[in-house]
Amino acid sequence: MNTNQLYQERLTRYLTALRNEKPDKIPIRPFVAEFTAKYAGMTCQQVAHDYNLAFEAAVKCAREFDWDAIVPNMVYVWTGLAQAAGLRYYGIPGIGIPHTTGFNYIEPPEDNAFMREDEYDALIDDPTGFLYNVWLPRVSTEVAAIGQPATYRHNLALVKSSMAMMVYFTAFGPQIQRLHDECGTVSAIAGIFKAPFDIIGDKLRGYIGLTMDMVTQPDKVLKACEALMPHLTHVGLTTADPAKQVPIGFWMHRGCVPFISPKQFQSHYWPTLKPCIEEFWKRGNQTMFYAEGKWNHHLDDFATLPERSILFHVDQGDIFLAHKKLHHKFALSGGIPNVLLSYGKPDEVRAHCRKVIDGVAKEGGYIMDASAIMQDDTSIENLRALTDVTREYGVYSGSTQSSANPAKSCGTLRPCHGADVSKLTGLSGLAAPRIKPGICRPWEEKARELPPITGDQDLVRRVWENVEALGNTYIWQLLLSF
Amino acid sequence: MQELQLLHDAILKGDAKTAKSVTEQALASGVEPLKLVQDYMVPAMGEVGRRFECNDYFVPELLLAARAMKGALELIRPLLVASGVQPVGRVAVGTVKGDMHDIGKNLVAAMLEGGGYEVIDLGVNVSPEQFVAAVKEKNVQIVALSALLTTTMPSMKTTIEALKQAGVRDKVKVLIGGAPITKRYADEIGADGFGESAAGAVALAKQVTG
Repeated sequence: MNTNQLYQERLTRYLTALRNEKPDKIPIRPFVAEFTAKYAGMTCQQVAHDYNLAFEAAVKCAREFDWDAIVPNMVYVWTGLAQAAGLRYYGIPGIGIPHTTGFNYIEPPEDNAFMREDEYDALIDDPTGFLYNVWLPRVSTEVAAIGQPATYRHNLALVKSSMAMMVYFTAFGPQIQRLHDECGTVSAIAGIFKAPFDIIGDKLRGYIGLTMDMVTQPDKVLKACEALMPHLTHVGLTTADPAKQVPIGFWMHRGCVPFISPKQFQSHYWPTLKPCIEEFWKRGNQTMFYAEGKWNHHLDDFATLPERSILFHVDQGDIFLAHKKLHHKFALSGGIPNVLLSYGKPDEVRAHCRKVIDGVAKEGGYIMDASAIMQDDTSIENLRALTDVTREYGVYSGSTQSSANPAKSCGTLRPCHGADVSKLTGLSGLAAPRIKPGICRPWEEKARELPPITGDQDLVRRVWENVEALGNTYIWQLLLSF
Repeated sequence: MQELQLLHDAILKGDAKTAKSVTEQALASGVEPLKLVQDYMVPAMGEVGRRFECNDYFVPELLLAARAMKGALELIRPLLVASGVQPVGRVAVGTVKGDMHDIGKNLVAAMLEGGGYEVIDLGVNVSPEQFVAAVKEKNVQIVALSALLTTTMPSMKTTIEALKQAGVRDKVKVLIGGAPITKRYADEIGADGFGESAAGAVALAKQVTG
């Protein structure tokens, strides 16, 4: 079998499982981050600083392990870009933290949060403008605050970091092609999304600040979440798989009990998240709920989402409970503890994988993976054991996957195929934002500064907005991905 | 003493303003500082922990209560020090080397303070040498290590080894905690105790110090 045939077979297997159906075998989709460095004989510092080395390490893993899908570079934060922008919130391997450690996110102290408690109105009025005017100068050691003199370093930081982002994103195309051509491995996810409430906690107010705001000004927090919804959804939709096959990556942080109370989940987190997920599904995109931590309390709410609209990934939650509550609607992934993969013995890994397969995978709709992304502490021997036992034990008889000609079936195979989305509201119930998502300054504002436009006005407008969109991409990607 | 009960209730509700004003009034009217701690603050934080354990309280309530308690304690502590009152014990807490996460560590510190312990917070990314120095210089009875990542768990082991090498391991009890930590791991690396959640920190500290 050549790599293209292998790719088609694996893609079909993966998509069949994403559809919560029974493939020929359980797909294996390990989210290997700094593990790739360890396997390829590199350091955490090397893969964080030089994404070409990270790509190389990922390809080596994909080539040498029988995995159906991986992320082209799970050491996603390229520190070259983070340094160019002068981002304060990363501990970079070799700079401030040991070079042998993966990068760390550093939450700002409560009294020095990137957004102050009295700035909700500005965020609500124009989220994109707020990010550029207020947030970026605070998160960056280089970018000057509005009203302060621009400096050489300020100018350089903006040019270098935006060009670095373009170069980095552009490099993913060839990397995905390499995975296809050299390894027959599928790129597991496409696009990025975070919940409005999470992003306020992660990158704006900080967890403690947000917790206090939930006591002193919960209405403002809710309005801010609502204001962020269309913009975050726009980021998800514009970065999603155009073929609508692999899911949008949704990284879930502290929106769960006990970090918030069940009441706060119901009043803030869930009502400003659910419509976004429905909007993705309305447009044919499945979302991967990467449920970091424990989300056991919220499974009943997730079960109200449309069938197949999500893939639910289990970290420290109870995968058997998740199966009981969600499997009738969604596929699951994960549930193999990282502690076990790092510090356990291969026999223990095999036994645990069998237990999970027995408990949640009998009817299909399960994708094998560790609980959380795998860093350089994951034992190579143990990950090999996970792979081998899944291949030996995770074979289905009477599957719905066509093994005779997988290429024929997977071209049109999509999680959304056959779904009825006609009754979904999505974001249509939400008031239109003052400035539409995807741009920074409206064309109308720009046009007023120009002499009357002759010839093809639509052309001029379209090109303006397309280039404007790049400015929008930069700031929202900085917020969500870096 | 009904007014003093307000201190207990204010901490329980996370009402920092009331906790502070009741404390100020009580101190002004001559109530013994230690009585405020022992009879009202420690029981209030104990109740906060209990409610957390039974899913009645969550991290936000815990943070608010800790904040109210701290505000009151800031008024009381100088008086306790001046009158030579000793804390229940002295604990050095820190997130281990390579790990920058502090929410769990801060919660544990707050619960221990609420239990009457003096807490020396060493911060995040704390090296084994810094823990050793704290033991040598600060006369702590307990060292509490936090880690969120499986990659930084081994720093707990190296910290315990550093304490051994420095000849101070027998002087302190070592407690560990954090999302990936298990009792098995605690046993393997020779820690004295393992805490599943911040709410149980005081009980665990008392248990290991006998």
